[in-house]
Amino acid sequence: MTDAGPFVLERTATGWLLRLLGDWRMVNLAALDHALAGHAWPEDGHLSLDGSALTGLDSAGLMLIHNRLKSAGIAWPAIELAGFDNERLALIRLVADRLDAPAPAVVVPPGFVAALGHRVSRAAAEVPGLLTLLGQISEGVVDLVRRPSGFRMREFFVQLQAVGLGALPIVAMMTFLIGVVFAYLLGIQIEKYGANIFIVDGVSLAIARELSPMLVAILVAGRSGAAFTAQIGAMKVTEEIDAIATLGLSPVKVLVLPRLLAIVVAMPLLAFFGDLVGVLGAATVAASQLDITFNTFFIRMRDVLPFSTVTFGLSKTPAFAVAIAFIACRNGFAVSRDARSVGERTTATVVTSLMAVILINAFYAIVHPEL
Amino acid sequence: MTTVLEVDGIQTRLAGQQLHDGVGFKIAKGEIVALIGGSGTGKTVLLRECIGLLRPQAGRIRLLGEDVWALSPDDLNALRRRFGVLFQEGALFSSLTVAENVEAPLREHTGLAEALRDEVVDLKIRLAGLPPEAAFKRPAELSGGMKKRAALARALALEPEMLFLDEPTSGLDPISARAFDNLLRTLCDSLGLTALLTTHDLDTLWGLVDRVVVLHDGKVIADGPVHEVARVDHDWIRSYFSAHMKEKGDGNGIRG
Repeated sequence: MTDAGPFVLERTATGWLLRLLGDWRMVNLAALDHALAGHAWPEDGHLSLDGSALTGLDSAGLMLIHNRLKSAGIAWPAIELAGFDNERLALIRLVADRLDAPAPAVVVPPGFVAALGHRVSRAAAEVPGLLTLLGQISEGVVDLVRRPSGFRMREFFVQLQAVGLGALPIVAMMTFLIGVVFAYLLGIQIEKYGANIFIVDGVSLAIARELSPMLVAILVAGRSGAAFTAQIGAMKVTEEIDAIATLGLSPVKVLVLPRLLAIVVAMPLLAFFGDLVGVLGAATVAASQLDITFNTFFIRMRDVLPFSTVTFGLSKTPAFAVAIAFIACRNGFAVSRDARSVGERTTATVVTSLMAVILINAFYAIVHPEL
Repeated sequence: MTTVLEVDGIQTRLAGQQLHDGVGFKIAKGEIVALIGGSGTGKTVLLRECIGLLRPQAGRIRLLGEDVWALSPDDLNALRRRFGVLFQEGALFSSLTVAENVEAPLREHTGLAEALRDEVVDLKIRLAGLPPEAAFKRPAELSGGMKKRAALARALALEPEMLFLDEPTSGLDPISARAFDNLLRTLCDSLGLTALLTTHDLDTLWGLVDRVVVLHDGKVIADGPVHEVARVDHDWIRSYFSAHMKEKGDGNGIRG
């Protein structure tokens, strides 16, 4: 009874008296909790609470004494209150009233099987949305063929500029450097056999058939795919998509088709541009490291790089483009109305479309293995 | 009665326009005061100046005994722990659940252990009149009224001495709006809170607040209990409150 703790429990003639001392506010909550934790409470329950020596009391402090007494089996209504002014009585009434409402059902974190099932069913729930968008796009394309005047030409060119023209510098940089690195590595090996001239065969085939289309696809997926999802997603959040539909327009025709066509047109062009710059990068290394002049390089290239390899490489890109645009737009429409969802869906676009690009590329390689 | 908030001689110029030209008023402890005025009279701007988000060109704001715009950044942050703000759209963090939203200020500013923090979060959610189950929901899953309550729970997290509310009942249906007014009254009376709110809601004025401060043309044109302010002979005030009379059916009996 001599320590200066935050409370004193005394035996009285009629039962027990709990005197609260000092400052029972949020700032001291941890210390108060500590002091209460090690204390034994009376079994027989009849308890008076005295607040005349309190210097401060707030809802958090009150909650603490309420909850601790309750868990010790002393229900709040059985407690007599003394020495509280009207303000504090109002506070006590409010807090006790709210805290005595039933506790929420505890959410049990799902087990492994349940979590797995949850994920699978969530993935399955995506399917109808995917099919709907696929149907809407097909319908839009058919409609476009029948009535080309309904096409949003302006939006198409805006997107073409963003997807195609805007990507030229970074495509140039990436394919040039990959051409340089690839030619350099290949050159080191080839030089050992004195077969320097074969650098042209290896580099030009690899760039035209695989490297340039893949690099461009990865770039477009990261750059334009993410942009599509974020644009459409943000419009979804601000209800602009609903506004478009309410005006009697089809969001698919207004937003998706111009983007889809823009990316389908831009990607082969970007890939061809990538072919040129990549070969140029390789030729630079060949000239400086392997004693093969530009002239020799390009004459040799004319002989060993069949036109069909170039067209094969380019023919893959519209498939990549369709996959990227479809995944990006689908994710854009699937955004729910909060900020976090836009980020999640944008990430999903990039990851899924990269996977799709790699799968499509593998499919082409298997179907058409000969060089 | 101690003065909790004292606004004095505020001059604000935004985008070349003189928004406030010597605005001043005081709020005593325990009062609920409403700031009213037409759209664009700078009610929200004044609120943002009081909570240290926007610096006025001139004038002084004393909040809880501190001169808001003379404080160092650290002291301003310390002061910010002593008041709560309810933004118009709630401004809940959309990536967090309601419980995590309420927990955020506790996690940042108190050293409470997790179990104790959870208890405090549960208390605040209950105080704001939300069903305890709402704790696990995300803001996107809540109705407008519940969002406001969740935001109020977060504003109450650190046991503030003062609340600032920007249009607390906007976007709510009349029934939810009145329920929210009642909740505010109960909380302010029981927790000893002082509140400054902006509003366009006349029912809030008549039903909830102790005093009304009217902003017009950059100045305070009336300051007092609502029944006194409603009788002030000023064009804007008259048209403002007569709109209310008609709405209530006292004027021409639209609603009988």
